[in-house]
Formats: sequence, C-alpha cells, structure tokens
Amino acid sequence: MTTPATDKPASEPVRTTKPVAVIDIGTSSVRMAIAEISNSGDVRVLENLTQAVSLGKDTFTRSAISKTTIEDCVRVLKSYRRILREYQIDSPEQIRVVATSAVREASNMLAFVDRVYIATGLQVEPIDEAEVNRITFLGIQPYLISDPTLSHSRCIVVEVGGGSTELLLVKDGDVVYSHAYRLGSLRLRETLEAYRAPTLKVRNIMETHIHRTVEEVAEHVKGGNLEMIAMGGDMRVAARQLQPEWDGQSLVRLRVRDVEDLTNKILVQTEERIARKYRLSFPEAETLGPALLAYVLLAKELDIKEFLVTNVNLRDGLLKEMAGGAGWSREFSKQIIRSAIDLGHKFAFDEAHATHVAGLCTTLFQQLKDEHQLPQRFEVILYVAALLHEIGLYVSNRSYHKHSMYLIRNSELFGLGKRDLLLAALVARYHRRASPQPTHEGYNTLDREGRVAVAKMAALLRVAIALDESRSQRIHELNCSYEGGRLVISIPRVEDLSLEQLALKQNGALFEETFGVPVLLRMARS
Amino acid sequence: MSENEPRFLNRELSWLEFNQRVLDEARDDSIPLLERLKFLAITSSNLDEFFMVRVGGLRLLIDRRLSTPDPSGMTPAEQLQAVIERSRRMIRDQYACFSDDLEPKLAEAGIKRVRGSELSERQLRAVGQIFDAEIFSVLTPMAVVSAEEFPLVANQTLNVCVQLAPAPNSTEPRFAIIPLGRALPRFLTLGSDRGYAFVLLEDVVRKLIDRFFPGEDVVAHASFRITRNADFALRDDLAPDILAGMEGILAARKHGQCVRLEVDSDISPELLGFLKKSLHIEDREVFPARGPLDLSAFMQLADLPGFESLKNEPWPPQDSPDIKAGESMFDVLSRRDILLYHPYQSFEPVLRLIEEAAADPDVLAIKQILYRTSRKSPIVAALARAAQRGKYVTVIVELKARFDEARNIEWARNLEEAGVQVIYGVKGLKTHAKVCVIVRREPHGITRYVHFGTGNYNEITSRVYSDASFLTSNEELGADAVTFFNAITGYSQPQNYRRIEAAPTGLRTRLLELIDGETQRKQQGQNALIDAKLNSLVDPEIINALYAASQAGVPVRLNVRGICCLRPGVPGLSENITVVSIVDRYLEHARILRFHHGGDDLVFISSADWMPRNLDRRIELFVPIEDPPSRARLISILETYFDDNVKARVLLPNGHYERLKSRKKRRRAQERLYEEAVRLVKDAEQTRQTIFEPHRAPGSDIEQ
Repeated sequence: MTTPATDKPASEPVRTTKPVAVIDIGTSSVRMAIAEISNSGDVRVLENLTQAVSLGKDTFTRSAISKTTIEDCVRVLKSYRRILREYQIDSPEQIRVVATSAVREASNMLAFVDRVYIATGLQVEPIDEAEVNRITFLGIQPYLISDPTLSHSRCIVVEVGGGSTELLLVKDGDVVYSHAYRLGSLRLRETLEAYRAPTLKVRNIMETHIHRTVEEVAEHVKGGNLEMIAMGGDMRVAARQLQPEWDGQSLVRLRVRDVEDLTNKILVQTEERIARKYRLSFPEAETLGPALLAYVLLAKELDIKEFLVTNVNLRDGLLKEMAGGAGWSREFSKQIIRSAIDLGHKFAFDEAHATHVAGLCTTLFQQLKDEHQLPQRFEVILYVAALLHEIGLYVSNRSYHKHSMYLIRNSELFGLGKRDLLLAALVARYHRRASPQPTHEGYNTLDREGRVAVAKMAALLRVAIALDESRSQRIHELNCSYEGGRLVISIPRVEDLSLEQLALKQNGALFEETFGVPVLLRMARS
Repeated sequence: MSENEPRFLNRELSWLEFNQRVLDEARDDSIPLLERLKFLAITSSNLDEFFMVRVGGLRLLIDRRLSTPDPSGMTPAEQLQAVIERSRRMIRDQYACFSDDLEPKLAEAGIKRVRGSELSERQLRAVGQIFDAEIFSVLTPMAVVSAEEFPLVANQTLNVCVQLAPAPNSTEPRFAIIPLGRALPRFLTLGSDRGYAFVLLEDVVRKLIDRFFPGEDVVAHASFRITRNADFALRDDLAPDILAGMEGILAARKHGQCVRLEVDSDISPELLGFLKKSLHIEDREVFPARGPLDLSAFMQLADLPGFESLKNEPWPPQDSPDIKAGESMFDVLSRRDILLYHPYQSFEPVLRLIEEAAADPDVLAIKQILYRTSRKSPIVAALARAAQRGKYVTVIVELKARFDEARNIEWARNLEEAGVQVIYGVKGLKTHAKVCVIVRREPHGITRYVHFGTGNYNEITSRVYSDASFLTSNEELGADAVTFFNAITGYSQPQNYRRIEAAPTGLRTRLLELIDGETQRKQQGQNALIDAKLNSLVDPEIINALYAASQAGVPVRLNVRGICCLRPGVPGLSENITVVSIVDRYLEHARILRFHHGGDDLVFISSADWMPRNLDRRIELFVPIEDPPSRARLISILETYFDDNVKARVLLPNGHYERLKSRKKRRRAQERLYEEAVRLVKDAEQTRQTIFEPHRAPGSDIEQ
C-alpha cells in the first residue's frame, strides 16, 4: 500500500536528538520523565508522569514490600512502558530506572527488582543516599551557578523524603558536607501509628523526633549566613499554595513563617481533606504535614527566615547525568575530591604528600589508559584512594593500611556510593603489604570487574607512592613507554632516582602481577 | 437592591426564555419560511427534553418532599408551578405560529398539509391503498379493559386513543389505544398538481379508524402523546444537580412517571377523562394542542429538497487564508498557529491534519477525544489507518449510553480491532474537552501538534455550530495537551499545567482568580474589562465573583446564548454587567473569554460553560490563545458579537429579554462573520497575486 504522504526525500534527516526516559521509584510514587537529549547535551523534558504507590509505607512499617504493592508498581511500570514505546524508547541505554530508600531498605529488595524485571524488562537500580545526593546536586547545580546570591553564600540543600532527609552543605558552589539523616515523613507517620498516639500528643511526639535530627544537623552546618534550598514534592505543594503565580521554573522564596502557618493548618486536617484540597494522592497527603513540619523546625533551629524552593527533582539530575554521558563531569569530580580532602583533614593527613601522590596517580592513569582500560570515573576513585591512603595512621601505625580502609569505607564522601566507596577503600588498603586475596574481607564481596579494577588501581597507586618516596614532591613530570617488554617511566630534570628506584623495587610487584610487565624507572636525557 | 430581592434568576425559567428566543426566530417574518419552520421544530424538541429532564426532576424533588429553595429563592413546587405556566404560554405561541402563520404561508408557497377531511377522492383512494399495504399490518390497537391495566405507552411517541360504543348488554364505554410507533413515516406524500402535498400519519389513521374496528361503533378518537421522566437515569449530563442521590428512586420507577400529556385540543371530555385517570395525570399536566402534536417532526419538512427560495442563501464554509492549498499542515503549523472560526471557515484543515498524521511516517502517536460519532466519520477512518500503520493511537470515546451498550458500538470496536487504544470515558466524569495531539519526530526533536476546539469532532455539527478551532505546535501547549491525556487516561496523576487549565481540577479556581484579578485592578485604579461568550451561565460562585467585579466598577460584557442566572443591571449589584444573547441561523457554541489584564489582554477558548456540572463534574479544557494574530481575531469576533443590533437580545433584570432598539446601521454578527471569512480569503488571494514568485534554479538567491 502506498500513500502520497510517505513520498519523502530518500535521505533520512540526520537526527540530532535522542529520546530517553528516567523512572524514579520513590516512597510514595513512581515517577517518570521523558526527555530528549541533543547532541550538545541539552535536556528537553517532554513528559512528566506520576502515579501513587505506597512502597514507603510497606518498607517503613513491615520492612518488606507487600505483594500487592509490588504488583501495583508492576502495573504502573507496564503502563509507562506503553508511553515509552510511543517515543520509541526501548533500548536499555535510553532508560534508567532508579529506586530510593523504600526499595533499598526493603528486606525483599531483590525479589522486587527481579519481579519488575520479569514483568516489564526494566532493570531497577536501587541507589543509596550518596548517589541520591550526587544526582540531586547535578540537578540543582545550574541554580547554584546562575544565582549570584547563592553562588557566593553558604547554602544547605535539604530534602525531607519519606525515609530519610538528605542534606548538602554548599559553599561557594562547592559541596563541603553531605549527609543522609534517618528522618523521614513516612517514618514519622509510622512512628506515630506505632505509638497509637492520642491526637493531641501527635504534634509533640513528631516535634520531639524531628528535634533529635535537627540538632544533629545544626551541629554540622551552623554558623554564618545560611540559605536553605528546600527540595521535594511536599515543599512544592506549599509553594503552589503560598505563591500561586510561581512558574515552577525559577527559584521561589517562601517565608518560613508562612510555611509554618500552612503547616499548622495542614496538621489538623484529615488526609481526605488534604488530598482533596491540595489535589494530592493519598500517599502524598499522608506525608505533607510531617514533611513540612520537619522543614520548618530545621529552618527555625538554623535561624533561617526564607526557604528557597525549586522544581528540580531526582529525575532532573538523572537526565543531566544521561546528557553528560556515562562519566562524571569535571565539576562533579571536583566536588568529590573536595569532600575527600575534607575527610583527610579530619584525620590529619599529610596533605602535600597525599595530593602529590594523587596527582601522580592521575598522570599514570591517563598515560596507561590502553593498559588498564578502566572507565573515566575510576580516575576519580583512584584519586580519592590516593588522597586518603594514609589516613589510617590517625588510628595506629600498625597495619595502618587496614585502618585507612575501614575509615574510608565507613565515612560519607559526597558523590560516592557504597560500592565506589568500597573500591576506594580497598585501593587504599592495598597501597602496601599484601596483594589482593580472594579471602580478604570486602574484596571478596566484589564481582570480577570490581576485583580487577581494585588490583589495577592499587598497582598504579603503589607506583605513584614510590615516586614520592622522598616525600619532597620533587617528581612532577613523567613519561611512560614500553621497551623490551618493560614499562619504562622516564623522569626528566631529576639528578638522582636511587631512593625511588629502591621503593619501586619493593612496591612494584603488584604492578607486574597485574599488568604482566615489570616497571623500570629511568632519568630522561634532555 | 433590597435584601429580599433574589440575586439569581431561576435556571428553568431562564432556559424557557432561551427557547422563547428561538421561537421568536420562528415568528420572524424576515426569515425564509422553511428556516422558520426549522426554528419552530427546534423549540418543540427542546421543550420535549426540558419536560423529560427538568420538569421530571422537579417532580421527583417534590415527591421526595424536598423544599430547599434554589439560588433564586424558589422551592421546587414554586418552580414547577412557574415552569408549567410559562410553558403553557409558549406552547400556545408555538401553535399560533404554526397554525395561523406558517401553515397557511407554506401552503401558499406550495407545501400543503392536507387534513383528513380535505382529501380529494383520488387522494383518499391512494391513502386507502397505502393504509392497506403499509399501515394496517404494522399498527395494533390494544383494548383497554380498565384504567388500571393501561398498556405501556412509549415516551414521546404518537398514539391514537379510541372510544367505542358500549358492548351489547352494557353501558360502560370501551377504549382502545393505537400506538403509532416509530416505524412508520409521519409524513405521507400525496399526489398534487402543484408543489408538495402531504398528509400526517395520525390524520390517515383517524380518517380510516373504522377499518381497525369492523362492526364496532367508534364514538370518538383523538391523538395523544406522553412525556415520562423515565429516560433520564442515563442522562446524567443533563440534570446531575437534580439527580444527585436519586438513583434509588429511579430504579424503582422503571417505567417513569408521566409528567406531560399532550392531546388534540378538540378531544372529547370522556376520552380526556379516561386518559387522565389511566395515566395519573392532573389537569395542570395536560397540554391541549391547536394543531399537530410533536412539531419537532417538522424538522424533516424543513429539509425538503427544492424550495430554495424558502431557505437561507447558502454560506459555504471558506478556506483559511493562512493555509495554502496542497501545503502540508505540519509545514503550516511549524510556521505559525492557526485559528479557525467555524462554520464560516471550513473544518477541513482539522480533518486534514489528522489524515496527514495517519499517513506520515514520522508521526509516532495520536491522541484524541471523540464524542459519539459515525462509522463513516473520516476522522475515525484516519485514526484506524494510523493504528494499522503502527502508530500509537489513543482515543477517548465519550458515550452517552451505558458501558455494556457502548460495547456494541461498531465503530469503536473497529477502532479497537485496528489497534487503537480505546478508552470509554472517565469514571464519574463526562469528557467534554475537545483536543487532539499528534506526536511527531522531527530532525530537531519531538514536536507536538495540537488541535484545541470548542466543538465536537463531528463533520455534521461543525456545519451548523459556531465553534473555534486552534491549531498549534507550541511547545508548552503541546506539553500540556500530553499531560492532560496522561491524566485522563490514567497514565499519571493530574499534574500542574504550564499554560492550560482543566476541569474538574483547577478551572474553577483559575476563573475566579481571573475575575478577581480584574476586580483588584479596578480597585487599584487600572482599567479592567471582562468579556465572555458562553452557552450557559449558572454557577453561583462565578456569578458572585462577577457581581463583585461589577461593584468594583469593572465593565462585564456577557454574550450568553442560553441559560443565564445572573441578573444584570441591578443597581448596587450588577449595574456594570450587560448580558446579550444571539440566536441566529447557526447555533452559537464557541466559548471565548477575554480579560483586560491591565491592557495586555488574556484571551481563552474553552469547552466549558460556567455551570456547576461543567466546572465540577466534567473534564473540560481552558486554553490561552497567546499567538498575537489569533488573539486579535478572537477579540474582533467577540466585538462583532457585542456589536450585533439585529439578532441580539438584551437580558433585563427581571429575566426577560428584549431586542435592541437601535437606529444605527444594521449589524448582524453572523452575517458579518461570514463576510469577514470571505474577505479574508479574497485579501489573501489578492496579496498572492501582487507578489510574484519567479521559478528559480535551486539554491539561487535574490541578489540584494
């Protein structure tokens, strides 16, 4: 069958955009954004969808997601599948599905992920707090850069979620502190229900619970003028009530006092009335009051008079990340490193040595790209490991590499998820002594890809450490080449390398084990 | 105004006033005869529906002993009383118009109704033959043994009631009913020397009544017609305010109470008494007719082929000057937005857009809301074609009938078979919005083409309803349209829209904000103005907001075709509000709104009337028109309506309407809108003729 309208020029137009979708399985809803990413990395959101599910309620009361709720999610995701097909979004690299605390903390998380995969073909990726923070930061960053008052002030970015409260402290555009607190609007609700609190006491109990966290936060961020960006759907509901003309595009300022009045009104209303009045789903209506109360109490504790509210959400960050390709942006890497240096300070590290070794690691990583074949983001992980490889000394000289490992592993580093943190911790651990063994704790939990990456990075780190054996940061340049089955590292403008050569002899074994070639250090002839 | 004075007009009486305005058209000498007949037929079918739904509803309220007054302060009993009185006067006027005016003039013009007694011998013979061949076998007289066992007579059908002489050895009169049903034609054509002659079915039956009762003595006979309120359980679109919470009662009244009995005015007292007793009808529910019953049937006659001099001169739909013949609608819309005003401008570009979409390889998806339409509809065909070509087509079908019956509707089935995702309305809400979105992949990214309308996607009604169409590829409107579809198809919870607004979620609030915005501006000393063109204005909250605007000094100009419960021109309440209504050859159907907004006019088109049912229980759309030429055109259309001094009637504070007494030059809005559509095309042609487009070699530019 032919039709006139199909008689188009034979050559297909060159498409310069790619349709993508991100799905965020949260505590009270499953949301999807469909967008187009252009060649130049611009993101254009085409559709935003949301459907209510009560995942958080299941996880935070019964610690597992019920069968019915799983099937609810499956039904929602199947319906999203249809929309995805309309846009011809079908290959895995066009879709990213993430799940936050409600799924991550559920005891049947794997069963959930598997069921969704079997029913819909969608691979759900449970992400941890650090990852949420990192992605959120990606979304909020443009505001921080473009707004002059924000780019030069101390600013906390807070999102009170169903299960946890994520907080970033940003100074001059850099993240200086990030943490996830166990304060969530749904958790609050459930606590109240567990108490069977009488109505009059409800508010008191909530305030007591919130205060515990608020004080903790205050300790971390207090001091000086502070701006507060309040993220999250609950705050957006407040913004729409208090500033009906808000376009949703810009940052809007809400007086804490006004939000408090609204919160007082909401807390005494039934969920049915809240749902009706503010046009919310029931899961959303349930958390609105407690979440707003948490924001208000936090603002008051920190002596903040105005909230800044944005429409930015996790999906914006996810889309930005997809637009930026798989790697981390330069800006983002900077934030991670910044946060690692802060950690180093905490444990009184030798900053000059640490940053110098880290710098050498980067040079080696870049020059030996063809050998290690590791993705770009491992450069940052290696850098972090190099910065922090000696922090174990803070605990003890004996087996300090092991102390370094657990300190790193149990700290919060902005932007690094649990797995990345483990990788960095293991690389630091293997900077001396034993080579990685399958019996080693932590290392044995990694898949092969992870194990290989740790070995490669640790080998590079050992070489870099040897190069600053003098601890005088005298080697700045190096050049790697292959000669007769050996890797030759030539160092220009240095008179004597015997110290470093000795160190390399002791430390170079791992490199040879991993890459299959010995390393030789040589002075470069000018 | 005094405190006891009601702030609102009664909606039933206001509706009757609307029907009166239609009737006034039927009585207007300056209108061609068959058009007048059409108007008369419309008033009759309107009134049928009114009795069935509104009068039926009032009766139910009274039966439930509900006496809460309506916003105008009238209890249901008072309303019923007033409505019946007003209807009676209207029916008297209808028959005066028909029997004293139209019928003789039509006969003069060659369209003649021959009564039973007037049949010539030749005609009688012919009628007798038709009777034997077609009528006798279809009609079945039913003997009525007692008033209690009266047969079930169908709602709003014609019947003949017959009284027979008492049986031997009895003094009791005997009765029979002959239902005329819906199978036989009402008009039987007679041979005639000149023009068109016809005889009505009931006249034939009564003329030859003896043939049904051989050997019996027929004492008396008369035609009658009843109206029940039975039907309206399914018609929740028409009377939800009355229906609320009454499902139980309705279920119990399967056959529905009789709310009106129409009879020939010369019916014998015995026959009338028998009917009243059998049907449990009171005197005030009896409506004698001085002419044929069911005047709505005369619509058929108005469409009689030929007799062009008795009809309006045709106003053929014009092309849009912005769309070149043969140009792809996608190309047109990627360049500019298009506003069409139907039926002065053709509906064809809308159809063409959907047909092009069905065939275009780059179109990914089409989403559309459709009212009950026919299988022959080219839109339905295009949507099926699109689905067969692998596009994702979603159609929301709003059916008036119940779900299981809807299942049987063939065309919806056909769509499903073609692979269209058919959604049968939204639970609890009637989908009244008119929108179509086409998602198309283009080199620079996904583009969405949208059609927003105030009228249904129906090629037939689009020829007689005045409606606006807005076609655009605007990014934000496209995103909103898709969001709207995701919400009503259940793919997403309702989200906030960027530009549009929708009922039942945010429309009411948005309207109140817009009205209040003008009030505020006026209070701050700025200029303010509200113009609205609607079909009905009933909602008390909106009316109160308009009163507040008037009290602040905002001029409010309303063009409300039908019901208007707002009382204009009442000192202290609404002296700055004027309401006009236009009833003319096309049914005014477009909803257009304009707010002065400090000099930067906000103009909207909408599917919603300002009635509680539209704002709270229907899915409606409200679309800002920001494209400057389209906005300017809509403002000029509004001005044209407000400028009318021929067909415009002004609403008085007491609820009555009167024609404008203007000595100025005659200005008839519909005529001017048609002339303008013609002029637009001519101007465009002329412009095209004065710009020469030489054929050039590809790639060569004009040298500067």
